Amino acid sequence: MNRYFRELSVAGALGLLLALLAVVAPAFYQPQPLLSLATREAPTLVVACGMALVIICRQIDISVGSQFSVCSVGAGLLAAHGWPAGLVLLASVSIGALLGAFNGVLIAGLRLPSIVVTLATLVSLRQGLNLVRQGEFVNLPDGLQWFGLSQTDGQWTLVAFALGLLLVFAVALRYLSAGRFVYAVGTDTEAARLAGINPQRVTFAVFVLMGALTGLAAMMNIIQSPQVQPLSGNGLELKVIAAVVVGGVAISGGRGSVWGMFAGLLLLACVSPTLTHLHIEAYWEKAIQGAIILLAVVADGLRSRKENR
Amino acid sequence: MSAPLLELRRITKSYAGVHALRGVDFDLQPGEVHALLGENGAGKSTLIRVVTGAHQPDRGSIAIEGKRVTNLTPSAAQQLGVACIYQQPALFPDLTVAENIALRLEPSTGLRLVHWSARRERARNLLARIGASISPETEVRALSMPEQQLVEIACALGAGARIVIMDEPTASLTQKEQHLLFAVVRDLRASGVGVIYISHRLDEIFTLADRVTVLRDGESVGTSLVGDINEAGLIRMMVGREVTQIYPPAETEPGEVVLALKGIGSSACPVHDVTFDVRAGEVFGLAGLVGAGRTELARILFGLTPADRGEILLNGRPVILHSPQEAVAHGIAYVPEDRRRHGVVLEMPIAQNMSMAVHRRIFPGTWLRFGTERRHALDFIRDLAVKAYGPDAPGGSLSGGNQQKVSLARWLATKPKLLILDEPTQGVDVGAKSEIHKIVRRLAKQGLAVLLISSDLPEVLGMSDRIGIMRGGTIAAVLPGKADAQEVMALALGTAK
Amino acid sequence: MRTASTNSAWKSAVFSHEGILFLVLVAEWVFFYHFGTTVNRHDVVVGFGTIDRQFDILRHSCEIGLLALALTPIILTAGIDLSVGSLLGLCAILFGMLWHDAGLSIPVAAAGALVVGALGGGLNALLITWLRLPPLIVTLGTYSLFRGLAEAITRGAVTYTDFPASFLFLGQERWYGLPTQAWIFLAVAALVGLLVHRTTYGRSFRAIGFSPEGARYAGLPVGRRLALVYLIAGVVSALAALIYTSRLGQAKADAGTGYELFAITAVVLGGTSIFGGVGSVTGTLLGVAAIAVLKNGLACLPVVMRMNGAEELSGMLTGALLLLALTGSVLPKYLSNWRASHHSARPQTPT
Repeated sequence: MNRYFRELSVAGALGLLLALLAVVAPAFYQPQPLLSLATREAPTLVVACGMALVIICRQIDISVGSQFSVCSVGAGLLAAHGWPAGLVLLASVSIGALLGAFNGVLIAGLRLPSIVVTLATLVSLRQGLNLVRQGEFVNLPDGLQWFGLSQTDGQWTLVAFALGLLLVFAVALRYLSAGRFVYAVGTDTEAARLAGINPQRVTFAVFVLMGALTGLAAMMNIIQSPQVQPLSGNGLELKVIAAVVVGGVAISGGRGSVWGMFAGLLLLACVSPTLTHLHIEAYWEKAIQGAIILLAVVADGLRSRKENR
Repeated sequence: MSAPLLELRRITKSYAGVHALRGVDFDLQPGEVHALLGENGAGKSTLIRVVTGAHQPDRGSIAIEGKRVTNLTPSAAQQLGVACIYQQPALFPDLTVAENIALRLEPSTGLRLVHWSARRERARNLLARIGASISPETEVRALSMPEQQLVEIACALGAGARIVIMDEPTASLTQKEQHLLFAVVRDLRASGVGVIYISHRLDEIFTLADRVTVLRDGESVGTSLVGDINEAGLIRMMVGREVTQIYPPAETEPGEVVLALKGIGSSACPVHDVTFDVRAGEVFGLAGLVGAGRTELARILFGLTPADRGEILLNGRPVILHSPQEAVAHGIAYVPEDRRRHGVVLEMPIAQNMSMAVHRRIFPGTWLRFGTERRHALDFIRDLAVKAYGPDAPGGSLSGGNQQKVSLARWLATKPKLLILDEPTQGVDVGAKSEIHKIVRRLAKQGLAVLLISSDLPEVLGMSDRIGIMRGGTIAAVLPGKADAQEVMALALGTAK
Repeated sequence: MRTASTNSAWKSAVFSHEGILFLVLVAEWVFFYHFGTTVNRHDVVVGFGTIDRQFDILRHSCEIGLLALALTPIILTAGIDLSVGSLLGLCAILFGMLWHDAGLSIPVAAAGALVVGALGGGLNALLITWLRLPPLIVTLGTYSLFRGLAEAITRGAVTYTDFPASFLFLGQERWYGLPTQAWIFLAVAALVGLLVHRTTYGRSFRAIGFSPEGARYAGLPVGRRLALVYLIAGVVSALAALIYTSRLGQAKADAGTGYELFAITAVVLGGTSIFGGVGSVTGTLLGVAAIAVLKNGLACLPVVMRMNGAEELSGMLTGALLLLALTGSVLPKYLSNWRASHHSARPQTPT
């Protein structure tokens, strides 16, 4: 009970919000809008799985938004060139993994601080993309949307896929030795080294995985619409970091789980529809997200203050 | 006789031209507890690092179970059955005991399934073997230091270690835990494991060890069967001279009471009901085992962990010390135990280190005055005979003893009324040590009240006008200066009547 | 740092960093002077070397320069503030609102904006010092909060314009030969330079950056000093907001988006260590200049003009520059470690 206190408290907050919605805005609980909401959030969930790993490993990656945009546009262009969907997916994942590897070399190899490295790649990638594409949209071939499925089937498939991936990560982080190494490195790099783990290799792998998942998420996003929007990844980093932090993954590494992240993500995802249903203007969303992040870290801070007493 | 478990021949190691080890021979037989003794800085830790593969010797040979090994790495040493239990265990605070043990024992391949029940079962078995009542489910951050050491020992057992190194394992243990640990060590010995046992506590060496090797200044002074030597002989080997002569005598009568503590305690640290006073011109020694609450008391007096019970009187007036700034304002100075982390900012020049606590006085109006600062530093460099190439030398470039002098200079500059010295000569070479003693005596003569915390028993006995012995977070007794070492140790251990 | 009491080896290292950066700056300028062309308002082709162009560079570097100056003490304490750009936006909006909607006079509205800046910085300071939360995550939260508030207040649409000429003088005119805001920038640079290099405050920042525990044990008021640097950053961000508003003649919610990156880049490029303790205001100024000349120079290269992407190219190069500066700062240490480990023995094989 105590070990999962943080996860449960987020789940509790989510439950409260859902209950509030049930009373104030029962319209929220219509299946189709809910499915749409879930589909929109599915790629975010995939990226957040990677971010949870990165933060458990005591790092951060704020370049995922730019990686997402680059992967989206790259995949879109290849699809427009007539590549089959499977290859496009593979290419998108590979581009992401490559970008993650670049971050990984600098952070794990040269031991540069991840915040500055990924800040630099965030801007370089975004501006590079703008330079090359000048904000142009990419028109996708017809067959790509929902991988040729009907919209509802496609939506269900995407949501199920994202949830499946979440389950895989939850299991891998608990029952795969590599998953435990991420915790070990995040909690104490030196102790990890003494235990025969190579912290640099683990860190590098985590960043590559982060990139690959971002590429996968980009693909999950572009198949939802007939066009690729080149700025689709802007602000994504904040959304996923918020989900991870709100979900109780300690920014100081080594603690937390993807289940907490999932609860955090759902909580944040419900903010926007809640605002709509409560007739609050959507412009407040960003501010509220920021406030929720601060609230979560303040709660953690107060708790650790109490523990240290 | 079978081949020794470990045989070191003519091991030499130097760091940046300074010899840490010069031609040390050492061997360890199966089923033996071999104590390693020596003052701080004698080369014990370097020797350990060579055995565990953390450092490579410059010259000399290492043989494990009769086989010569070259280029020993930490992982190779582990595979050859070397395990080391450090004073500060290198565990993962956020992970459970079971997982900590598992991460040490399981192969470090990434794609392997984790069997949690097997992990727990193994942890339970290993912990049971050493008689530790720790749940495998506990997170290590919730364990006390001795419990963490027991986890380390469980790891070593689980790894099937043949050579177990224990670096001051009892430093922070209670009486009961010590006996438990001794039983574990005897068990290990009975099963044919060789134990290298490092301790400062001679009584432990006599009860536990079979042989003892003494290191001094990086050289092996000699190895002897424990039965063939007595305490005085060991101390002679360690220091190489008669101990009592090196301490400068007290020359003044203590004056007014500067610091009076009445029932001081804090819920944030294990210190309670501390009552004693320190007079001007007096060196008040605080003896006790590591973990008895001496550093914690110093932290209370310096405002780092404020007291929430009792009363602190300075010059007869009650004061509240909630932050170091308040303590400094009241004329309290604290030369901390951990020089490299707390005493000196290693990256900053010594002139800046020396002025750090007196910014307000030597930089009126907050403007830096580089000339004043330099002169200030040069004065102290001369007064305390700091060996450095100048005021611009970074703190980290100095030797331990000289860093300690810089830390001391910083606090003397505040012209304190009460000077708290926490292990001022730990890891300091013999020459600098006696210089520091002379400085302390001179300061007392000038009317300063000195609170001297030291684990070096001869030092406390030789330097102090009165000695307070701490045990379990409170003062067990206050004795006059020339107290009997046995009596002090007995009080510190809690074996006195 | 150019103080008399710094050790010589270290001093020469820093000197060479600033020296190299200065040479890079000169090389940049010469390059653009040679290859850059631009058209002035009379449709006459003029070079990069015109005085107007230099003033333009100065004008454009003031806001980012101010943020970089604010970040220098923060990074010296081994902290970071990602929220400065967002706070700039929030202050700009509130300034516009106070003046336009609340009908206050410009000086009162400006004072109000500075107060808002101080409050924003104070929020960061409070969370970082009181709860000892990591600056990274706190300012990431306020980064979102401040920008979100600016967007919420304006509903993403309102832009305040039609400021009086007396206010626009600040950002668009010249005063004693220089663009007006340059005087403010130089004044803040001088103040921060004095604070960092010539006062006990700066000394404390460095000590905290090198070793927060060491600073605490030396009796330095660590919490108050940290609070001060974040508070200063808030006020300076507000000042940058006023200059931004005046230069563009409008206050909008997206003001200063992404400026934090350019500011951090300038500081790191200027030789301030992201790990704290080491750095100088001169370095930061050179870093700001290097970025500003790059950005401005690219805009007058014919090839870039044809691509129509000066903004993007300079952003991309700035990011690359930051990575290069970081890599350059750790590579010598890394190489010497590597060489040492190869020299003394076989490398320890990682397992």
